[in-house]
Amino acid sequence: MEVFVTFLLNLIYISATLALIALGLAMVFGLLGVMNMAHGEFVMLGAYSVYVVQLAGQHFLWAIPVAIVICVMVGWLMEWLVVRHLYSRPFDTLLATWGVAILIRKGVEVIFTRDYKSVNQVMPGTIDLLGVSYPAYRLLLVALIIVLFVALFTWYQKSKAGLKIRAMVQGPELAAAVGIDTARLSRLTFIIGVSTAGLAGVLLAPLVRVEPYIGLDYLMSSFFILIVGGLGTLEGLLIGSTVIGGTDAIVSTVFDKTAGYMSVLLISILFLWLRPDGIFYRR
Amino acid sequence: MVSSIGVKALLLAALVAVPFITSSYTAYQLGLYILFGIVGQGIVLCWGKGGFLPMGQALFFGIGAYISGTVLKSDPSWGVVLLAVLLSVLVPGMIAGIIGVLVFGRKIGSGLYFSLITLALSLLGYQLANSQVWLTGGFNGMTGIKGLPGIDSFGSLYFFIIGALVFSTCFLAYLIRTPFGQNLEAVRENEERLQFLGVNTSRIKAAAFAISGGVAGLAGAFFAPHQGIVTPQVVGFILSAELVIWTGVGGRFGLAGPVIGAVLIGFLASGLRDYFSFWEVVVALVFVIIVLRLPGGIAGLAAAYAKKIGMSLDTFRSSPRDEQILSSPTNSQPRLEFKNVSLQIGPVVILDDLSFEIVDRGIHCLIGPNGAGKTSALNVLTGKLAHNSGKITWCGQPLEGMQPFRMSGLGIGRKLQVPSIFPELTIRQNIDIALWVNRLKFGNVLSMRPYRWHKALKDRLERAFPFLIDAEVLAGKLSVGQRQMLDFSMTVLAAPDLILLDEPCAGLSKAETETMISAIADLAKSSKATFIIVEHDMQVVELLSDHVLVMHQGRLLAQGSLEQIRANPEVRRVYAGGSK
Repeated sequence: MEVFVTFLLNLIYISATLALIALGLAMVFGLLGVMNMAHGEFVMLGAYSVYVVQLAGQHFLWAIPVAIVICVMVGWLMEWLVVRHLYSRPFDTLLATWGVAILIRKGVEVIFTRDYKSVNQVMPGTIDLLGVSYPAYRLLLVALIIVLFVALFTWYQKSKAGLKIRAMVQGPELAAAVGIDTARLSRLTFIIGVSTAGLAGVLLAPLVRVEPYIGLDYLMSSFFILIVGGLGTLEGLLIGSTVIGGTDAIVSTVFDKTAGYMSVLLISILFLWLRPDGIFYRR
Repeated sequence: MVSSIGVKALLLAALVAVPFITSSYTAYQLGLYILFGIVGQGIVLCWGKGGFLPMGQALFFGIGAYISGTVLKSDPSWGVVLLAVLLSVLVPGMIAGIIGVLVFGRKIGSGLYFSLITLALSLLGYQLANSQVWLTGGFNGMTGIKGLPGIDSFGSLYFFIIGALVFSTCFLAYLIRTPFGQNLEAVRENEERLQFLGVNTSRIKAAAFAISGGVAGLAGAFFAPHQGIVTPQVVGFILSAELVIWTGVGGRFGLAGPVIGAVLIGFLASGLRDYFSFWEVVVALVFVIIVLRLPGGIAGLAAAYAKKIGMSLDTFRSSPRDEQILSSPTNSQPRLEFKNVSLQIGPVVILDDLSFEIVDRGIHCLIGPNGAGKTSALNVLTGKLAHNSGKITWCGQPLEGMQPFRMSGLGIGRKLQVPSIFPELTIRQNIDIALWVNRLKFGNVLSMRPYRWHKALKDRLERAFPFLIDAEVLAGKLSVGQRQMLDFSMTVLAAPDLILLDEPCAGLSKAETETMISAIADLAKSSKATFIIVEHDMQVVELLSDHVLVMHQGRLLAQGSLEQIRANPEVRRVYAGGSK
């Protein structure tokens, strides 16, 4: 029973964090059609914000505004200089953002070196839940992610900006014709997308290793989630996260990390083969 | 691609002379960069020619290196070494081929997905190389690799590397010129069109990827004796990314590009890396700028400059067309059946229990007001849309869920409403691709013979559309009307029994429309094919139709000769604007 509860909590924790990481890519790729290869680098920037804030002797929470400011700035620059010229040219966006990803990665490497940075634990204690004691920070994280998702989803469904974005996604020309500033809206979507990635980086920093190359893993898992879950729905994102996170967790425990990665990759290829549009696909 | 033989010979001579005029260390470094350049040549085949980018090419390079490294550890004889080189090519090639078949198999235009999957594979390869210590030596690498028997790794091995470069350049250059290479470029230009012509594009892409994997493995086979050690970095994503950057910066459209890129950036890096820590940031920046502004890379700039000073680098081949090919035997009797076909997308009913039969040869015109479901009927027929219920059969064969390229094998050809051609290929190349449909086999796809093929029908089309005559003009430079005519000619040349034309005269001037109509009438008379034409222009219908089908609101309203249709009160009511 206890083993089962621990496993279940782990599964929820893993799926929630993966969904948070993939959320930004789901927005940027799902709504704008931009396969942002630098997505993971924004997670990395978020994690480094925590390191810098703690280095300056400040409280962990300061990392949130710092990360958001950095991600908004870098995201804005990236959209303005690179991405906005390439909408509707998906292959070139992939290449250009790939270049930007390497640029950010190498830039961070020059400044901070390739060494692992340690980030201090936040809320180190555990909480008793359903008969097992579980790390408090992880539980808080899951709660935060749920709140964030609900808030973002409500905003997307109810707010005027959300309506405009949906209009733009379904028919950019028509949206522009009825007076929606699609260029600005695309930029906004892109920036929000990369900022959620940065936020994910902050929240995960105490739990993962922090080094310049972590972004790639996050990019890949986000991508796998989108393959399995399909583009354009929240259910798809959550199911994709659970499938990918669950498979990885189970196989990694039974065999090893490499086997876990291999099984995730195989599932993704299988999905491309059998259900090229993912589980949930909205026409 | 530099084509004139003199320039090539000069370059080769310069490469051979390097160890004699500079230090042997420079030659040693150059050898390594050339090996990377060879891998890049494989990337050119996929990226520049095929239009899909492999992002994990180091994986195949590394597999080749590990295979040759394993063999070379045991101090083998030359025979065994040759076998090892062969294996280093075949194993990565086969792995790449299998991946290609899996990823490309089901989805047209899965380019982005393919790129990320290959990147993920490279990450996986890195993990495996680290964890499978018994096989690879793990993190510290596979050590104790000896050089090729009797060959000094710091000396004469360089000439073997030059040999590998010459081999891969000649092999790939030949491959690009074959019908296989031309079809590969057509995939890049317009994959959907190629599928409708009846070409299995996923197989072409998988084959190209397999070849690029083999080429990478070949370079890897020489990397092991050159370095004497193979570490997991060699299969990893960092090298994979660098290979793409070298190819992009050097130039992705020709075989010289990646070699230029790898050598140039390699030497610059070895000079600058230690003094200038932002060096790699600068390289990434240059790459982004090239993607945005200069897709041809350095080689593209050089080619533009050469053209400016009057050097001609392009040599068009023009083989005589002296081998007559015959049309495949045509079905004597068409039999197309729509039985209770319904299609609904969201709340909109597009086809509502549509049933009709076509059993006569000749020209059948499908007419009806806007939104009647004419184009959708063709779309469900060719599998572009999946219908919800009902049955469509052609000569007794059900057509459900069939991939477009298989339709052509059954004798069904389609021309889309918007003219759809291969813009960066010449008119002659466009025509060639149509002539080859269903005729390229394993035996001739890599020979130059198909370029000599000729067909009587081609003469007939050229009489109707004189601008087609084996012109070395890029198809993208044609006017809309001419594109329609080229597209039509390609559809017909692919020799289907059932030809579906969606508004063949859309966007044509009056004179062009007349040309087109007489060409269609002429072909319908001389060939045994059956035509279904979706048309709005009643003049066209009047001149061409043997039989008219009228659709309204997703159903068949009436059919018969044009006179019968004109006399039909239901049809009149629909066209006069009345409601049902």
